[in-house]
Amino acid sequence: MTGTTASAATAPSRPTAPASMRRLALASLVANLVLLLVVFAGGRLYASFGSSARDLLVVDLLVNLVLVLGFQVFIGNTGVLSFGHLGIASVGAYTMALLAVPADRKAVLIPNAPWGIPEIELHPFVASLIAIGVGVLVALLLGLVAARTSGLAATMITLAFLAIVRQVAENRKDLTGGAQNLSSIPRLDGWSWALVGAAIAVTVAVLFRSSRTGRLAVATREDELAAGAMGIEVFSPRLIAFVVGGAVVTLGGVLRVQSLGSIGPSQFSFEFTILILAMLVVGGMRTVTGAIVGTVFITVGKEVTRFLGDGPDFLGFRWPVIDGLPDLFLAGSLLVVLLTRPAGLLGEFDLGAWLRRRVRGSTSPSGDSSAVTEDEVAPVPASTTGALRTDGLGVTFGGFIAVDEVTMRVEPGTIHGLIGPNGAGKTTFVNLLTGLVTPTEGTVHLGELELNGAPYRRARAGISRTFQNLRVFPALSVRENVAVVDLVAHAHRSHREGVGVDRLLVLAGLAELAERPASTLDYGNQRRLEIARAAALRPDYLLLDEPTSGMSSAESLEMVGHVRRVATAIGAGVLVIDHDLGFITNICDRITVLDQGAVLAEGTPDEIQRDPRVIEAYLGSGHG
Amino acid sequence: MTDVVQNLIDGLGAGSTYALLAVGVSMLFGVMHLVNFAHGELLTVGAYVIYGMRSNGISWLAVIPVAIASAVVLSMLIELVAFRRVRSASAFTLLLTSFAIEILSHAAWRIGVSSTPRRYEAPQIAFKVVEVGPFNIEVWDVISIAVAVACFAGTAIMLRTTMFGLAVRAASEDFDAARLMGVKANRVISGAFAFAGLLAGIAGALWLVRRGQADPRMGAEPLLKAVIAAIIGGLGSLPGAVVGGLSLGVAEVFFRSWLPSDLQGLTDSAVFVVIAVLFVVRPQGLFDVETAERV
Repeated sequence: MTGTTASAATAPSRPTAPASMRRLALASLVANLVLLLVVFAGGRLYASFGSSARDLLVVDLLVNLVLVLGFQVFIGNTGVLSFGHLGIASVGAYTMALLAVPADRKAVLIPNAPWGIPEIELHPFVASLIAIGVGVLVALLLGLVAARTSGLAATMITLAFLAIVRQVAENRKDLTGGAQNLSSIPRLDGWSWALVGAAIAVTVAVLFRSSRTGRLAVATREDELAAGAMGIEVFSPRLIAFVVGGAVVTLGGVLRVQSLGSIGPSQFSFEFTILILAMLVVGGMRTVTGAIVGTVFITVGKEVTRFLGDGPDFLGFRWPVIDGLPDLFLAGSLLVVLLTRPAGLLGEFDLGAWLRRRVRGSTSPSGDSSAVTEDEVAPVPASTTGALRTDGLGVTFGGFIAVDEVTMRVEPGTIHGLIGPNGAGKTTFVNLLTGLVTPTEGTVHLGELELNGAPYRRARAGISRTFQNLRVFPALSVRENVAVVDLVAHAHRSHREGVGVDRLLVLAGLAELAERPASTLDYGNQRRLEIARAAALRPDYLLLDEPTSGMSSAESLEMVGHVRRVATAIGAGVLVIDHDLGFITNICDRITVLDQGAVLAEGTPDEIQRDPRVIEAYLGSGHG
Repeated sequence: MTDVVQNLIDGLGAGSTYALLAVGVSMLFGVMHLVNFAHGELLTVGAYVIYGMRSNGISWLAVIPVAIASAVVLSMLIELVAFRRVRSASAFTLLLTSFAIEILSHAAWRIGVSSTPRRYEAPQIAFKVVEVGPFNIEVWDVISIAVAVACFAGTAIMLRTTMFGLAVRAASEDFDAARLMGVKANRVISGAFAFAGLLAGIAGALWLVRRGQADPRMGAEPLLKAVIAAIIGGLGSLPGAVVGGLSLGVAEVFFRSWLPSDLQGLTDSAVFVVIAVLFVVRPQGLFDVETAERV
C-alpha cells in the first residue's frame, strides 16, 4: 500500500487514493478516540454522583465496547453474522484464568488439572498476552471453517461453536471447575486499564477498516459476486477479519474476567452474545462510531430500565417492580431498529469522515481530481497479451443448450461486439468467460493462458466486466468503488500501467461526485462507474454486458464515445454485448452474432448489416 | 435386543415432536430463506394457554384445540408485524430479527406472568404405560407417533393437492418466478407461517401435556433441536426435516443409554461438531435438495 513509484513521463501509476485514505483513517481514529473520551468523561461524571456500582457500570461499558468492536471488525466489514466470537473470548479468558490464578488457589479449585496447570502462576499481564495468542489461534482454526462457507452456514457454525465451548467448559470439571466458577483471578482495580483497552480496540477497528484487507473485505460485503469479478477473493479478507476480530474480543474477554475476578461457563453465554450484538446492530455495525454509540445507547437504556424496574420512588410515585424490564428494552430496541433502520441508528455515519467532509467542504472542493485533465496524459500502452478466444465453448442447463460450441476471437485493442436477440445466450456467454458459469465443453484462452477456475482468478488474469443489472458497491463512495479495484490491480496487474483512480473518475465524468455513495448516483452514472471500476483493474479485455440497457438513444450514442475513450485510455480490448444493433455497429470493429446459443455470423459491421441471416434473425424473431 | 427396540420407541416418540417443529422450520426456510428462531415461542404460548385454562378447571378436550390455535395465531402475527417488513432483507437481518422476537417473548412472559415456572397437572393418560411382551410402552409415545405420522401425511397431501401447496412448492423453488406466475407473496408466506404454526401447535400439545409447567424460556431448547434436525435433513427439504427430526430423537436416546455418564454432557457438542462438518462437506444437507423430490 505504501511506496512511491511514479514514472515521470506518463500518468502517475500510484493513485492518490491511499494517501487520502490514510488521512481519512487518521481523522476517523482521532475523532473516535475523542468520542470515546467524551463517553468516558460522561460515565465518570455519572459515577461521581452515585455508589461504587456506577464505577463498575463505567468499567463494564468500556469492556463491553471492546467486545462490540471485536464483533464490528468481522461482522461490520464482512456482513457475515458470527455468534462464535464470544466462544473465542471464553477460551481466551479461561486460558488467562488458568495461567494467572495463584497456585495455592488452584490446588483447591482444580487440583486434577492436566498439563501441570496447577503449578503455573504467571503475571496477569503475561497471562493475558498468552491468552490473546490462544484466542488468535482458535479464531484462525474456526475461521478456516467459517470463512470458507458463506452467509447462513457460517452463522450456524459459529453458533454451534459457542454452544460447544460452553458445554466443554461445563463438563471438563478437572480443568475449568465446571459450573462452579473459577475464582481468585487477580483483579484489575480502578478504570484506567479499561479505558486503555477500549482505546486499543478503537484503534485496531479503525486501522483495520482502512487497511488493504479491510477495504477488500468491505467490497465483498457490498457485493460478493461483483467483488469476485473484480479480482477480489472472498476467503482471505474474511478470514483475516475473523482473526483480527477474534483477537479484539479475546482482549475484551480477558479484561472482563479480570474485572469480575472469576469465570464460569455461563459468562460468555448466548444471551450475552445477543447483548453485544444488539449494541453493535442498534448503533450501526458498519462504523466504529456506530459501535460506540450503540454500546452507550444500550448501556444507558438498560441502566434506566433497571432503575425503573426496581420499583423506585420516582416523581412522587411508587413504581411497581417489573422483573425483566431491561431485557424487554434490549429486545424491543433491537427489533425496532432491525425493522425500521436495518443499517442501525447511524448507518454509514463515521464521526471522522463526517468532520473531514465538513472541514473540506468549507475550504476547497476535492483538490485531487482537478489536477488531472483528460488531454494532459497519454494513454497507457496497449495490452500485449494476445487474443481472447474461445474454442467450442458451450453449456447445457438440464436439456437446454444455452451456449452451443461457440468459437470466436477478440483481437487485442479492438472493440468486438456480441449481438443477438433476447435469449440468444449472450450473458451466459460472458458468464462462461468470467467463470460464473462452468462450461460443459470447450475452452477459453487469453493469449497463451487457458482461463479456468474461480471468477477472481480470471479477473486477475486480465478480464474484467460490468453487469447488465448494475452491481456497484452501493454503500462505498464513488472513489472507493474504483480505488478498491485499483488496490487489486497494484497487487496482481502491476505489469500493466494504470491510469490512476482520479483520471478514471474524470473520464467517467464522476470527479465531482467522487465522495458520494455510489447508491445515490443515477442510472447512467452508475453504468459509467461500473465501467470505470472494471477499467481500474487494468484488464487486457473489458467485458461490457449491455452497457446501454435502459438508455435513450442519445445516451447510447454518448456511451459509444465513452467506451471508446476508456478502452483507448487503458489500452484494453473490449467485448461488448448488446441487443441494440445500432449501438453495436456504431462502436465495434468486428461483430459476432449469436442466435439460440450458436454463432450465426461474424464480420465487420458492414458485412453483418448486409448478412441476410442476421436480418432474418433480427426482423424475424428479435423484434417482438 | 429388547433394549434396542425400547430405545427406538422412546426415540421416535421424542423425535416426532422435533420432526413436527422441523418441518415448520424447513418450510419457512423454503419460502423466505429464514431460519426462524422465534418458532419455539409458539410452544411457550401454548404452555401458558394450557396453564391459564387448566387453572380455571377447563377440560383438556377444550384446552388442546385452543392451545394449538394460539400457536397458529401467534405465528401469523409474528409474520405480519415483523417478518413482512424485512422479507427482502439479508439473511443476517432476518436471523437477528427472529432472535430479537425470541428474547422479546421471553421478557414479555417474565413481565406479564413471572419468571418462576407455572405448574399444571398432567392428565392420567400422559404417563400411562402398558406392557406389551417384554416392552414397556408409554401410551402417549404411541399417540405422539400416530399424530405425527398423520400430520406428515396430511402435509404431503396438502402440498400435492391444494393450490396453496402448489404455491408453497413453487415459492420454495424460485420465489421470483413464482410471483411472476401469479403467486401472491403475502398470501403464501402468511399461509406458510400459519401452517408451520399449526404443526408447532400440535407438537407443543404433544409435548406439553406431559411437561406439566410453563416458563418463559421453555421454547428455546426444542427449537434448537428442530433447527438441527432441519439442517441435518437439508434446510428447505420437508422429507429431510422428518427424517432429521426422527433420527435426532433416536440418536439422543441411544447416546443417553450407551455413553458413559461423564461423556453424556458432551453429546450435544458431538452433534454440533457433526453439524459443522456437514455444513462444510455437504452444505445442502444429507438429502440433495437439488435432485431429491421435495414433498
